[in-house]
Amino acid sequence: MNATVISIFIFIVGITLVITYFAAKRTNSASDFYTAGGGLTGWQNGLAIAGDYLSAASFLGIAGAIALFGFDGFLFSIGYLVAYLVVLFIVAEPLRNLGKYTLADMINARFNAKKVRGAAALSSITIVIFYMIAQLVGAGALIQLLFGIDYIWAVLLVGIMMTIYVLFGGMTATSWVQIIKAVLLMVGTVILSFLVLKNFNFNILDMFTQMKTATPHGEAYLSPGVKYKIPLDTISLMLALVLGTAGLPHILMRFFTVKDAKTARSSVMWATWIVGIFYVMTIFLGFGAAAFVGSDLITSTNPAGNMAAPLLAQALGGDILMSFISAVAFATILAVVAGLVLTGASAFAHDIYGQIIKKGQATERQQMLAARYASLGVSAFSILLAIFAQSLNVAFLVSLAFCIAASANLPVILYTIFWKRFNTTGAISAILTGLISALVLVSLSPSVMNPVAGAAIFVGDPIFPLTNPALFSVPLGFIGGWVGTMLSKELDVKKYSEVNVRANTGGFRQL
Amino acid sequence: MTKVITENDTQQDARGEKKVTHERPVVKEPDFQKIENSSGFRELMHKKKKFLISTTALFLGLYLLFNIVISYTNWLDAPFIGDITWVWVFAFSLFAMTWILVTVYMKKAEKFDAMAKATLKEFDYDEEDTK
Repeated sequence: MNATVISIFIFIVGITLVITYFAAKRTNSASDFYTAGGGLTGWQNGLAIAGDYLSAASFLGIAGAIALFGFDGFLFSIGYLVAYLVVLFIVAEPLRNLGKYTLADMINARFNAKKVRGAAALSSITIVIFYMIAQLVGAGALIQLLFGIDYIWAVLLVGIMMTIYVLFGGMTATSWVQIIKAVLLMVGTVILSFLVLKNFNFNILDMFTQMKTATPHGEAYLSPGVKYKIPLDTISLMLALVLGTAGLPHILMRFFTVKDAKTARSSVMWATWIVGIFYVMTIFLGFGAAAFVGSDLITSTNPAGNMAAPLLAQALGGDILMSFISAVAFATILAVVAGLVLTGASAFAHDIYGQIIKKGQATERQQMLAARYASLGVSAFSILLAIFAQSLNVAFLVSLAFCIAASANLPVILYTIFWKRFNTTGAISAILTGLISALVLVSLSPSVMNPVAGAAIFVGDPIFPLTNPALFSVPLGFIGGWVGTMLSKELDVKKYSEVNVRANTGGFRQL
Repeated sequence: MTKVITENDTQQDARGEKKVTHERPVVKEPDFQKIENSSGFRELMHKKKKFLISTTALFLGLYLLFNIVISYTNWLDAPFIGDITWVWVFAFSLFAMTWILVTVYMKKAEKFDAMAKATLKEFDYDEEDTK
């Protein structure tokens, strides 16, 4: 760690702490804590969504994957971006019109049943925990490399920072950390892309020609099939990515921070442009790293390729750019984990404590206390898990989180908005079928059981062949919801009329 | 703007005179089924569903097609210009498609908003109305 890294690092952390200080003064109610009082504008929330979404896996992971695997590394980006159409067309506006703080609120706008709320909270918490472990383990390994400190200290550093933001500043601080991070990330990526293009003499055609010989893969580098060789596996994974975003609780929660459906819509528009432009630039980062750093150095520094972007910064811009990019990577991790803590806390404190245990009768003070205790609890629990998971290969947990979101949350969201016959039993069975089938199938898959020692958690032949089960678990979620609905005679046409009118007109919001 | 009819809670005092103790707001429950069955709302839903179903089928279809083609065939490995192959062109068209559909939806949604507003007005409600 040199002086430049430390000063840039302290500067960024300092800004976020100042924000947290001012945000804390404005966080006086549960609504302030969970949704920043619903007062964010379209571009602010759009940047915050991008800040929430572009995790270290996106920034460092995709750049590294493109550097090592060429086109196949870029494949994730396509799924991640097209997914925003599902969010915009189907989920964002009805969610804003029907919900208050959480996904469970939105489903409960139609079914006022504790079991439905409990099931929705359970799936949100599961997704948040998996996503969080993946982020924290990745963060620990990265910060260990970037700053040369021990894994445990790295995890604790990130963990303590995220706890401070959420505990004191709630959604206001979290959102602004995400906004600043998104801006820093875009600035860093633009600078790096510019330098890469300059080194290719701003000739895209020539860049592609050079890439044919720049890596050990030769011409295959520019074609699909270097990393993903099993067709059904690729299709299943890509299905999880495109449908999962619309069910990720930490993304959904962002739609409650704006005042109405129109602002929710414009925030998705902002996010789509930012996220899309970012993913286009990851190609330059990946190609640049492959050409100017070389795959040998990238893999010897970190086998997964996560150091490709920082190494590229070092190669093209020297120590100062390397320090800046490392600090951006740190800010990236902080913004994502803070959003996750807040989402997990909302499921525990608002859904389980406030609505199920206290039956919606908790006072403002009790709600705030519960929210803060839950934030502390979620943080401590995930830090502990991350410390124990250090040596495990947890990279698959991100795509698993997308898979659970697509299988357990998307069917119930769609049915709640569009299907008149849908009922309480159906809602519970949709969530549980999607959740359980995704979990069971993944635990039998090559991600968990692999004959090669060290490649997965257990050594052995996988029982289920696909690494990502979305191709089966998503249809199962939909079928589960349909079967559950048909098994029960319950049908409340009047309530559906209300939900239908409220979801589609934005009128009669329950405050 | 909220439809609130104030009812006064009254109490008889010792001399038998009615006295207003406090005002209690009563929010009128909207008739959602009536709104749902109105021609304005039905037209809104018809147009909205038509747009959403066709565009969703389009983008999900193209997306899945792309993944199936690159997984099972090497059709897209043919060169487009120089060493850029069709797979990159298809991938970028999916990016372009996303941005185009987002832009188109933003325009469409303005119209849906206007229709929703008109429907609510017809029933004397306003977007600001809360329950």
